[in-house]
Amino acid sequence: MEDKFDRGSALTIFPSDRHEDLMALALALIIAALVYFLV
Amino acid sequence: MVYTRRTIWPLVIGIIMVAYAYLVQSGNMAALIKFLNTGRYVGEMVTLGYAFGGVAILVGLWHLLAAPREGHADYYLSTVAGVMFIMLVAFIVKWGLDPLMGLWGRQARPALGFNFASVLNLNYVVMGIIAGIVVVNVFRVPGWAENGVRLSRLGLKTGVILLGALYSFAELAQLGKLSVLMIGVFVLGSVWLVLLIGVRRNLPNSMTGVLSSGVGVCGVSAAVAAAPVVQAKSLEIAYTIGTILLFGVLCMFLFPIIGRGLGMGYIQFGAWAGTGILNSAQVAGAALAFQPGGIETLKVAEIFNITRVLFLPIIVLWLAVWYVRREQAAQRTVQQVDAMQVVISKFPLFVLGFILMFLLSSTGIFAPARHYQGAYFDNSDRALMKKDRTGKEINNYLRDSEVATLQKEIGKITRADQKAALERLAQNKKIMSEADDAVVRGIINAKALSKEGTAVLTKAHRVVRHTAAKISKFRDLIAWFFTFGLVGLGMQITMQSIRQAGGAPLVIGSIVGVIKAVGSLIVVLLLVAETI
Repeated sequence: MEDKFDRGSALTIFPSDRHEDLMALALALIIAALVYFLV
Repeated sequence: MVYTRRTIWPLVIGIIMVAYAYLVQSGNMAALIKFLNTGRYVGEMVTLGYAFGGVAILVGLWHLLAAPREGHADYYLSTVAGVMFIMLVAFIVKWGLDPLMGLWGRQARPALGFNFASVLNLNYVVMGIIAGIVVVNVFRVPGWAENGVRLSRLGLKTGVILLGALYSFAELAQLGKLSVLMIGVFVLGSVWLVLLIGVRRNLPNSMTGVLSSGVGVCGVSAAVAAAPVVQAKSLEIAYTIGTILLFGVLCMFLFPIIGRGLGMGYIQFGAWAGTGILNSAQVAGAALAFQPGGIETLKVAEIFNITRVLFLPIIVLWLAVWYVRREQAAQRTVQQVDAMQVVISKFPLFVLGFILMFLLSSTGIFAPARHYQGAYFDNSDRALMKKDRTGKEINNYLRDSEVATLQKEIGKITRADQKAALERLAQNKKIMSEADDAVVRGIINAKALSKEGTAVLTKAHRVVRHTAAKISKFRDLIAWFFTFGLVGLGMQITMQSIRQAGGAPLVIGSIVGVIKAVGSLIVVLLLVAETI
């Protein structure tokens, strides 16, 4: 799939693993906040 | 480059999901749900069907009507269609194929003499990954879904971070000691073994170095992290990734079957998978495949996996020193690389996210900090006096008749601490402390009292143990994040990426991988008790 994307890599839409990790962290914190406030 | 494709499929997927949720909610699917015995999923069928279906319809309309231009909005929004595609596959597999296969397995048992679904471990995790592999290698992922498939690793990483919320200090302390010991031995041992064999077989130092990190630590990300310090070439990294993927995928399917065959428990299997399987994603896949109905195995496996990721800085520094010495001994010039800088820039941050989530959870915001596997002790009035749905108050203190039953039987107990705990229980009509609760559980398990007496103790124990609602919600969400990630992962396992494996790296990687898998299995079976 490499040639099909001009951004990220075949495995991820993010420019680097570090970006992906930070996005995962942000997403997890948002979900944790939703669980905390809504459940 | 514009990523959004004009297609009707996201809209069709959305309509299917919403229609299914409506049919389930209105009771029209009752016969099918009863036939497949999927009643326990009705809640999530409705909620997830409406939620994902609604989003898919909106995105589907955008795909049809908008005229997207190149940019961030086009790039990121175009991933949603792929996410919906993965979720549709996950829904079909979890709510349809999994129970159907279970049914067929049971029905075919008299003819075959065994339950093929159980023996082959055909649950929704395994079938989801297989479905992904089939989609990408036989039919190809549709163009409009390709960008979304590249979010599957984000799903797995988010799942791992959220998993941090489920551990208590007690669990982490128990599992941590074991994992540091086992991972220490097997990570360092397998890195050393790859280096030894690589040198003996005259492999280039860069190839040996990058392979040792991938096989020893946590797979693809470790190989990528170690590549700069051993100055590995792209082809050498590709060989390593191919070897890890090939071996990892085989392990992901074989480990659960072997684990079941050997009658392993959750802790034993989690410890084995977290130590013996090379790549992080496949560890999660094997753990969930072993226990598709819960995440206890996944929790154990991820502690082991995260422990080995924590070894990454040590391995990178070790390889940096090893590589420079080997190259200098061969009188070749070595380009200086700052190993510490590599460690800092390549260390997987999601592991720190996991620790952050654990620390956050340890403050007691999701469950009392002293919870154990989501359950905690509370004997306060608020916990014991509850109201039912009609508003009627329910008193969970022991009744006078129950206290009388208990008092008649206290004489049967000879141990002083047990006797004292029961006397406190009879006097206060409730268990008075967590320590007393542990003692009472011991008496229940030992069946030291009569049936009536044990029933009183069981009630007294049950009413002071509570399951944290937030922890339960985390469990459900985490299971879905991993399901999404693993189905998407299957769609990324192409024959092309596996064919990269070959030659000496494949032979060395396989030898060390098998030694690690078999060695860790023996250690787990000999040393790890199911309760630790």
